[in-house]
Order: sequence, then structure tokens, then C-alpha cells
Amino acid sequence: MEIKKIENGNELKLAVAGRLDTTSAPELEAEIASMPDVTDSLVLDFSELEYISSAGLRVLLAAQKKMNVKGKMTLTGVNEDVMDVFEITGFSDILTIE
Amino acid sequence: MISIRHLRKEYEEATPLLDVNAEIEKGEVISVIGPSGTGKSTLLRCINALESPTSGQILIDGEDITDKNCKKHLLRRKMGMVFQSFNLFAHLNVIENVMKAPVDLLGKSRQEAYDRGMELLRTVGLADKATAFPDELSGGQKQRVAIARTLATDPEIVLFDEPTSALDPTMVGEVLAVIKSLAKEGLTMMIVTHEMKFARDVSTRVFYMDEGEIYEDGTPEQVFDHPVREKTRQFIRRLKVFEESITSHGFDFLAVNTRLEEFGRRHLVPQKTVRCAETVFEELCVQTLLPLSDGEPDIRMTLEYSEENESADMRISYGGRSFASLGEADPLSAALIGNSATEIAFRETGSAEYPHEITLKLK
Ligand SMILES: Nc1ncnc2c1ncn2[C@@H]1O[C@H](COP(=O)(O)OP(=O)(O)O)[C@@H](O)[C@H]1O
Ligand SMILES: [Mg+2]
Repeated sequence: MEIKKIENGNELKLAVAGRLDTTSAPELEAEIASMPDVTDSLVLDFSELEYISSAGLRVLLAAQKKMNVKGKMTLTGVNEDVMDVFEITGFSDILTIE
Repeated sequence: MISIRHLRKEYEEATPLLDVNAEIEKGEVISVIGPSGTGKSTLLRCINALESPTSGQILIDGEDITDKNCKKHLLRRKMGMVFQSFNLFAHLNVIENVMKAPVDLLGKSRQEAYDRGMELLRTVGLADKATAFPDELSGGQKQRVAIARTLATDPEIVLFDEPTSALDPTMVGEVLAVIKSLAKEGLTMMIVTHEMKFARDVSTRVFYMDEGEIYEDGTPEQVFDHPVREKTRQFIRRLKVFEESITSHGFDFLAVNTRLEEFGRRHLVPQKTVRCAETVFEELCVQTLLPLSDGEPDIRMTLEYSEENESADMRISYGGRSFASLGEADPLSAALIGNSATEIAFRETGSAEYPHEITLKLK
């Protein structure tokens, strides 16, 4: 997995490429934990994300809870396979997917 | 372009080629498949005149290369060969490797060889590595340079002998992609390969070799979907089995996924099924069973794929505490497992080594 980070004022964009699974999810978790205090908009660009497992979903859930307090979280470029996972787990109802 | 007639090759210990016959036309892309030891490499080496046949004829553009009077070196120029091992010159950089044959053998000017060489490096996606030395490159990059070097003599046909067999699985894709793009450009090629998905996608024709001959010859659809002869059937439809064991909490998860994807590619397992296998392996073996095992884990996963009925069955055997229904799993993991399988069954085996077993039919 690879994460590209773009900070733009109060917006933080993380482009996640590859697999978000048991081994790589902690990396994204750490990236989100170290988010600047001023960030009130977190954008997760998933256009290069190929696979997500429950470990990845848990990180998204924690991030969503955190951003509910601080501002908003948006997912972009979600592919069909990943969308399928969001749908069967009910995450498509919790997350803001553009 | 190439006619092979009653080709026979005997060695002291073995006779890999008994009676090989084939007509190969310009623009054909032929995959040569078959069990090991059936003479695939021997056939390529005979065509390239690296080996003299015991009897029979090989005509290239009408000239018989088995004829003593034939100018082998001239004919060999019409052909290029790419081997499993890349054999680059270690003391020359990438572009010098590619320029060597055109300058030394074909008498091209250095400028001409350089321009063509750079063009070829662009084709294989390595123009930015022109001045790198071979030991600075990955295996996949080396093989792409070897392909560019072979193309530099402008061969009319290129023979590949298992071009990806010596590569790390993560690098197979990039080399196959280069070969595929050459096929699109209309280059005549013969490729010995074990990559069945690739063979199906890229070839205009498939030779299945066995019993000392081209045992079955046809389009990829004919050979892969409707093989006529018994041995071809067995080879194509044989059950494909993938096995992995988790024996430590810190096992290499990434490596297992890479092997699983490699297995899927080799045996034409649909991408969706591979995804389901990855999901079940991660959610059930790694997320659910692994934390249940105190001490040294021992979880064995077997995936059986049958091409004949396109079904994939997974069996997971393990020791330690039992896990007897999806309801005991984390809800997220349970949802993902449920979405990947059409059937799931839990069973006690009675064996001391692996007392518990879970079987799944994957989607
Ligand atoms: N140079 C050689 N000397 C002696 N026996 C050989 C030689 N090359 C190949 N063979 C034998 O010929 C048979 C076919 O080999 P090969 O063409 O390499 O098969 P494949 O490429 O299909 O695996 C094998 O039994 C092998 O041992
Ligand atoms: Mg061989």
C-alpha cells in the first residue's frame, strides 16, 4: 500500500493506493492519528485502492467518528469491488462517498 | 515462414522429439505448453539452430537449416531468442547491451544502433535506465532489457523459453505486458510458458507438447476450452491446488497474497474468485482463527480450483480452540466471509493434528 498526502489549508487529502488490509491498515491509522489539529476536512482518495478488508474498515470507522467531531470526511474514486464491500457491511450508509 | 517436417531429436538418455510437424506463418503468436520434459526447449533450440536435429527438416523461408551447406549464422539473424536467465553483459550498461549485436554483428553505425536501441528501451518502458548497469536492475527490468536486446537485431521471429520462470512473482506481470504489446504489433513469436492466462490472452495458436510430438494444435479456445485428446484434457483440466500454512503469528501475510494471485493468474482462476479466496483467508484465517490460537498457531488452508466446473473449494484445518459458527466472528469479518462463499460448513475431524475443519464453496 502507498499513501500520498496533500495538505491544503484546513483540508487533508490522503490518496491510498493498493491494498488496505491487515498488514497495511495500521499505516493509514497512524497517518490519520497524526493529522494536524486545524484539519476539518479529511478527503480519502480511493481511486487507486484495489482491496479493502475488515481491518481497513475499522480504520475508516474510527476516522469517521473522529471527523464527526472535527468536521467532515469524504471518500472519492471508490471502485466497484471496494464499493461492494461498503454495501454488504453497511458502511455505504455511514460514509460520505462521492 | 517456418516449416518443421518429421523433426526428431535423440539424446543418449532420452528422445524428446519423435516426430514434430508444423507450419508457422508470419504474424502468428504461438504459445507452447505442456508438462516439463516434453521437449519444448529442445524444439526451440532446434529452430534456432542451437541444436542439430537427429533427422527431419526445418525450413525457414524455404531454406533448410539442417542442411550442412546452409549459412546458419545468416538464418539465425532472422531469429531472436529470450531465455529464462537474462544473460546480460554485466560490464556493459543497458544501452550498450542493446547496441552490441547491431554494431558487432550487423555492422550498424553506433548512432544508428543507439537511436534504435533507445526506441526499443522506450517500448519496454526502460528508457530512463539506459545508463544503468544490469546489477542495478530488478529481475523484471533485466528481462525487459534482454527482450529489447533481442529485438535490436530486427528478428523476423522471436522465440521465448519460459521468459518469466526465473522471476519473482511480483515482476511477472511487467514482462508479460511487454510481450503482449509486441504481439499486438504483429511480431511473430513462439513462447514456451506455464502462464496459462497469458497464453490464452496473447496467442493466436497453442501447441500442447507431449509424447514427442505437437500432441494438440489449435486456437486458444480449442485447446483450453475443448481439448480433443486425452492427455491435453488431463493437463488442462487437472485440478489446481494451492496450499498455505500459518505456523507463526508473524507469518508473511503479503507473501501469501502474492502467491495466491500468482496461482490465480497461472491457472486462469477468475479474478473474482481470487478476491473471494483472499477475503476468506484474511477474514477467517488471519482475523478470526489466528487470534484464537494460544502459543504456536497451526492453520492449514487448501484451495482447490477445478477449471472443468469453474468451482473453487477452500478447506481450512486447524488445532487449538474451535470456532463453530460465523456468529462468533467479528460482524465485519462475518459479513465479508458470507459475501465470498455460497456455502460454509464447520466440522470436527477427529484427527489429533487438525481437529477442526471449515469448508467453503467460494463465489
Ligand atoms: N542437452 C541435452 N542433453 C541430454 N538430454 C537432454 C538435453 N536437453 C534436453 N534433454 C532431455 O530431453 C528431454 C526434454 O527436455 P526439454 O526440451 O528441456 O523439455 P521441456 O523444455 O519441455 O521441459 C528431457 O528428458 C531432458 O533431460
Ligand atoms: Mg524447458
